[in-house]
Amino acid sequence: MTTTAQIPLTISEPEKRSKRRGGWSRTLVSYSFLAPWLIGFLGLTLGPTLASLYLSFTNFDLLQDPQFIGLANYQRIVTNDVKFWHSMQVTFTYVILAVPLKLAFALGLAMVLNRGIAGLPLYRALFYLPSLLGASVAIAVLWRQLFAKDGLANVALGFFGIQGPSWISDPNYSLYTLVLLSVWQFGSPMIIFLAGLRQIPPDVYEAANIDGANKVQQFFKITLPLLTPVVFFNGIVQTIDAFKAFTPAFIISEGTGGPIDSTLFYTLYLYQEGFAYFRMGYASALAWILLIIIACFTAFSFLTSRYWVHYND
Amino acid sequence: MTDAAATTQNVGGARSLLYHVILCGVSLVMLYPLLWMLASSFKPDDEIFGNASLWPDSFTLDAYIRGWSGLTVSFGTFFWNSLVIAVLSVIGNVISCSLAAYAFARLKFPLKNFWFALMLGTLMLPYHVTLIPQYVLFLNLDWVNTFLPLVVPKFLAADAFFIFLLYQFFRGIPRELDEAAIIDGAGPWRIFWSVMLPLSVPALATAAIFTFIWTWDDFFGPLIYLNDASQYTVQLGLRTFVDSTGKSDWSALFAMSVVALIPVLLFFGVFQRLLIEGIATTGLKG
Repeated sequence: MTTTAQIPLTISEPEKRSKRRGGWSRTLVSYSFLAPWLIGFLGLTLGPTLASLYLSFTNFDLLQDPQFIGLANYQRIVTNDVKFWHSMQVTFTYVILAVPLKLAFALGLAMVLNRGIAGLPLYRALFYLPSLLGASVAIAVLWRQLFAKDGLANVALGFFGIQGPSWISDPNYSLYTLVLLSVWQFGSPMIIFLAGLRQIPPDVYEAANIDGANKVQQFFKITLPLLTPVVFFNGIVQTIDAFKAFTPAFIISEGTGGPIDSTLFYTLYLYQEGFAYFRMGYASALAWILLIIIACFTAFSFLTSRYWVHYND
Repeated sequence: MTDAAATTQNVGGARSLLYHVILCGVSLVMLYPLLWMLASSFKPDDEIFGNASLWPDSFTLDAYIRGWSGLTVSFGTFFWNSLVIAVLSVIGNVISCSLAAYAFARLKFPLKNFWFALMLGTLMLPYHVTLIPQYVLFLNLDWVNTFLPLVVPKFLAADAFFIFLLYQFFRGIPRELDEAAIIDGAGPWRIFWSVMLPLSVPALATAAIFTFIWTWDDFFGPLIYLNDASQYTVQLGLRTFVDSTGKSDWSALFAMSVVALIPVLLFFGVFQRLLIEGIATTGLKG
């Protein structure tokens, strides 16, 4: 508590003492605040990141010491691994479908909620709930059941006289049930959109009304441009998140990524290589490829953002 | 609400009714699966499938009793394990992240910008990259199949996101308060403890609640580090239930799914406003 007060009292005048409090002791105090993070960063993040990079150039099965094999893992991944390309395809399909749909729902409902109608807090909470529950195993269990052959989805379709497929066990549809699960969780981007919409001053719309702009024009000329920073933010967060999706696919496919690898998300493939077959060097290389993809995506988004993201300053 | 009030004026009653219809429709479609799961957990097995009704014809608590006793280990054990891990994680995260956030927000020290940039960098790093070396590390420490790999990182501020959240919050606290405390002879520890923390209760609570919920729902960490059924968390217990019961005991599976969601739902019910504000202002993903 009193670290600074215990500094050696070699200088008699109190004013000087307080000036001298800087320097080493001050650094030491500052670093004592930083220490837990610093230890964690060095030991659990930086160290493992470097180790992972090294392991990605090795053959490593946990039992024996890693053997350095140069670029062989990467070479095999790119040229000779059907599952890698397949899981890439599954993951990209998922990202490309789930993220825009989710954001569209989020924005649409945020705009409806931004009308200042009664009951806003209730609707906001109801729409947000699935986002909060989404990551849990219970929801994946529920989803598996909803889209079973005799599940609720098909019962609902039955009302319209449609005989639905057995979604989860049909490789043509299984991935789309996961897309739907992701879209169902549009609540958290919706709340961020809502906060963004609140920032748009109403007089902009009043002026547009006077100029005779209709609602569609107002959306494309005012709302969307002013909201681009929020679209940008939500887009990046949701995309990175979608690349990392794991639990629902794992639970719904019982860890296999099936049927016929139709839900073999990249992270699921990585998990299988690392923790089912103990090819840990290979899995490390897969992890680095994921890192590179995410980094490229992020860099690309930031670079192109200057052409379409408008900051109001 | 006030911003939107201007737009509301020309939206007539019919218009607003239409919006309510849309919103109620969407809410119903979204929440129906959850309600159906809840209802199914009170139904006997043969009544669940091909039945969309929310009201059980014959109401029974059987599924809860069967499910709770579990396969080899009681669900009570899973529940306790999850609770221990989640509570320790909350304590760890709140302490370690607030310490680091205070250092970054308020103290001056050599290399500060360097460390800060690295901290921000870890926000982008997918955990898959550190996964395998961390596993090897914990295996060599003989920590696998204990709670340590799940809990210790929280005491080392491994969730940089919360550092950032608290950093933003601390920065918003007027500097005059620190300066007044310094004049009164307080050092950084005293300022941290008596000025910053009391003023940051909403941010600390947000971090604590999200830590609890995310840890409670975490599946991947326990999947990798816990092998022994007596160590399993609720999520792992639920998963073994799915795999081994297959298609036979759906009502028990639903009942335990409901049980697994209860803590999260409780937190949501109580802190809903705080959680939503946390998302709106910080972009927590939730």
